[in-house]
Amino acid sequence: MILIKKYIPLALCFLFGVLTLGSYYVPTAASENYMEAMNQWENIVAGFAFLLGLFGLFYSHYNKITRKVDGWGYSLFVYIGFFMMVIPAILSEGKIMEGTTLTSIGWGYRFIYNALASTMFSVLAFYIVSTAYRAFRIKSAQAAVLFVAALIVILGKVPLGQMLWDTTLGWTGTQVSGIVQWLMDVPVVAGRRGIMMGLAIGGIVTGLKIIFGIERQYMGRD
Amino acid sequence: MKNFIEKLLKIDRRLIFLTLTLLLFIPIVRPLGLPNKNIGTEVKGLYDRIESLPPGSFILLSIDYDPGTRPELHPQAIAVLRHAFRKDLRVGMLTLIAGATGLVEELAERIPKDIAPDKVYGKDYVILPYQPNPAAVMTQVGMDLYKIYDTDRNGLPIKDMEVMKGIRNVKDMGLGICITGTALLDSWVALTGDRYKFPFAGGCTAVSQMGYAPYLQTGQLKGLMGGMKGAADYEGLIGHKEKGTSGIDALNLAHLMVIGLIVMANIMMLWLKYL
Amino acid sequence: MLNKRLNLTIFSVLFAASAVCAATPASQKNAPPVPDLSGFQAVDMPYDKGEAVLLTWPVTPADVPGAVYQVYASAGKDWVKAAELPAASSLASEVELPFWAWKRDAALHAFQAEMPALFPGFKPGDGYSFKVKYVNGKTSLESAEAKVAPKANFFNLNRVNNFVLLVTIIVVFFWTVSHAKRKGLFIRRIAGLDAIDEAIGRATEMGRPIFYSTGIGSMSMVPTIASTSILAEVAKKVATYDTQLKVPHFDPIVMTVSKEIVKQAYTEVNRLDSYRDDINFFVTQDQFSFAASVDGMIHREKPAACFFIGHFMAESLLLAEVGATTGAIQIAGTEQESQLPFFFTSCDYTLIGEELYAAGAYLSKEPMLQSTLKVQDFGKAFVMVAVAAGSVLVLAGTIYKWDTMLYVVKHLFKGY
Repeated sequence: MILIKKYIPLALCFLFGVLTLGSYYVPTAASENYMEAMNQWENIVAGFAFLLGLFGLFYSHYNKITRKVDGWGYSLFVYIGFFMMVIPAILSEGKIMEGTTLTSIGWGYRFIYNALASTMFSVLAFYIVSTAYRAFRIKSAQAAVLFVAALIVILGKVPLGQMLWDTTLGWTGTQVSGIVQWLMDVPVVAGRRGIMMGLAIGGIVTGLKIIFGIERQYMGRD
Repeated sequence: MKNFIEKLLKIDRRLIFLTLTLLLFIPIVRPLGLPNKNIGTEVKGLYDRIESLPPGSFILLSIDYDPGTRPELHPQAIAVLRHAFRKDLRVGMLTLIAGATGLVEELAERIPKDIAPDKVYGKDYVILPYQPNPAAVMTQVGMDLYKIYDTDRNGLPIKDMEVMKGIRNVKDMGLGICITGTALLDSWVALTGDRYKFPFAGGCTAVSQMGYAPYLQTGQLKGLMGGMKGAADYEGLIGHKEKGTSGIDALNLAHLMVIGLIVMANIMMLWLKYL
Repeated sequence: MLNKRLNLTIFSVLFAASAVCAATPASQKNAPPVPDLSGFQAVDMPYDKGEAVLLTWPVTPADVPGAVYQVYASAGKDWVKAAELPAASSLASEVELPFWAWKRDAALHAFQAEMPALFPGFKPGDGYSFKVKYVNGKTSLESAEAKVAPKANFFNLNRVNNFVLLVTIIVVFFWTVSHAKRKGLFIRRIAGLDAIDEAIGRATEMGRPIFYSTGIGSMSMVPTIASTSILAEVAKKVATYDTQLKVPHFDPIVMTVSKEIVKQAYTEVNRLDSYRDDINFFVTQDQFSFAASVDGMIHREKPAACFFIGHFMAESLLLAEVGATTGAIQIAGTEQESQLPFFFTSCDYTLIGEELYAAGAYLSKEPMLQSTLKVQDFGKAFVMVAVAAGSVLVLAGTIYKWDTMLYVVKHLFKGY
């Protein structure tokens, strides 16, 4: 068992990790063919993963319904929603448009899924506004700098803000868009680059840990 | 007064939600028509890049957003398509997000209707099917795209289509554009743009826009449209105002409200602290 | 009279002869210059997969505005026009290859012919002929044919800088790993990770569940792998205290891996009896449906603690804000810098940047894993020194016009 659960996966991980890493430096046809084969395999595995997820989803909600756990009624909607989309999809052979008319799955996509997903994303705007009100407080000198920078960026990003700036601070001869551009090009890029470099190094080290089998927690240790 | 301020600072967030809703209703009922004066330099970068491509060049357009981010990103995709077709460029559209397939269909429906009625499917543009593994697509299009896309979304072989003439991988293409609300633009830049020396540009939500500043500075991204403002800017550049431009009013008011709330909350906090 | 005529004739002949003599060099001066194409060469493009040919020919005074070079290729029979280049373009200095793989300052024209684009049935190893033709108005000149059989190269020398860096990192990596076995290692405190005990303790006291989300990344993404490592430690503590754990998933493969990890964690602390298979469950592979579903669960079940660790995009605030309203203690961490501000405002603790990658090692306290943190530190030290030294050198090179040094530095730190 330990061979199947530990040594074989570790050996496969090492082998394919080294080969994939090596293919970056070796430009031969064999190297390219290897990458092509890997890409096709990855695509196939990713496709089958949907099925894995689906079975997992059904199993989990079936358990909730049979055990009558709190909120089990919501689990019923998982099945209702699933069949509401899948049956029309099968009937219309997966096509969203038939010529110039919408199929039943197309209708469901455009008038149900579209509206639901857009609503969910638009909630973000409300959360951002309320979070800004609750959390953006000047409690230190650093927070004050952040506050001023944020204010300028918000003003500079919309035409009304630019008009406000011109009306109140136009006499200074500075354009708010110029200041925003400087903020974006200098402090923002500098800060982000620092985090990016740290992340890149962390990513490389994690990759090596996995290839060489030092990090094994992702496969349940033994 | 102190009590009142304290109460105001702990105001029920639902009241803030309601105020924002009412504020956003104003431009819907009566559009203000605020001008979009300053065009972003990164949007201009993308526009100039497309403008400089010779007619017949191929553009790879990755539509990687779902209906959630549609209000911000769909106008960007329409504006870019309109510009590309106006310049007589060939376009290959694909998606790496399952939820985006319907939006790609919407674009396919609009191209003959109003975006470019004179363009012919298979000759001027092609729509590739959804693929579940982004990394596989991004590396494969750099080598031989027919190994991962042998047919279009309707199952027709693409290799013989006129639109694909002379196209084998990204070396034969003029530009790649990914419009997304996810981190797929980063992956496109790393796995295709940088690796195969393929000029790449993008469109993203306003929230993610700041994060791409280093890519723009190093030239890894040739241009970027950020949120609805980016779409409005692009619409202004091509002289065809649509949903992006009409959203500017709402954007203005919402931004103004955020500024108002932050300033108000801080004044109240300082009042409680020092007065 | 005769003498006079003879003199006149002699004078006229001499005048005409001198005029002819004077006119000849003048007409030679006005003739357009012609390039020397004898140096035309076709060689296999170095360090590629064998699908390109590099054509070079000397730069000459004939490269005037209006003149063009036409490049022709043949697979044996007919000639195909591969390109038409303005005479003053396609110089060796424009070729995007590093200094160790390409002589930039050579006075040459250089053109890279992509063979599959020219010959659809192209195979590396087949022989092809090339010639270049100079055209300037009515003047034209053709080079001799040059034959070449492009072949794949075994090593991409352009990427040797990257390769050296990789080998160095691997050497340092193994050195630190072997070193760590002998000695302990000081690691600074990471508040977000120290708070895990507090969060789990709180959940146990309150009798409420703990939510752990690995984000919307796939299993091939480093932040997701890092998140599963943290999940292993969280699950162990949860199992010890017999608290309830819920792990909603966006990706089915991540769910399968997480199931294995959580089961193993329960086994390690001898609490396999408390393990349930539905601790990890798949929700949906749609970003906002996932956010809506998890928000709903958090809202209904009012967890005592929420962990949002992994790859998050726009759903970060949607999740964290709802968690905050239920009063849960929240710990977050993501590699997406654009989402960090949202986590800062709504969560109690946030792991920044590479703290996320260090978390697995920090929590597990395994010497082998902890030693790899040292590699990260060496890496950061190297980057800091490289950035500082590179900036100084580039600045000095720009001020003092040290062009050679400028492009050596730029090439050394560039990816090819």
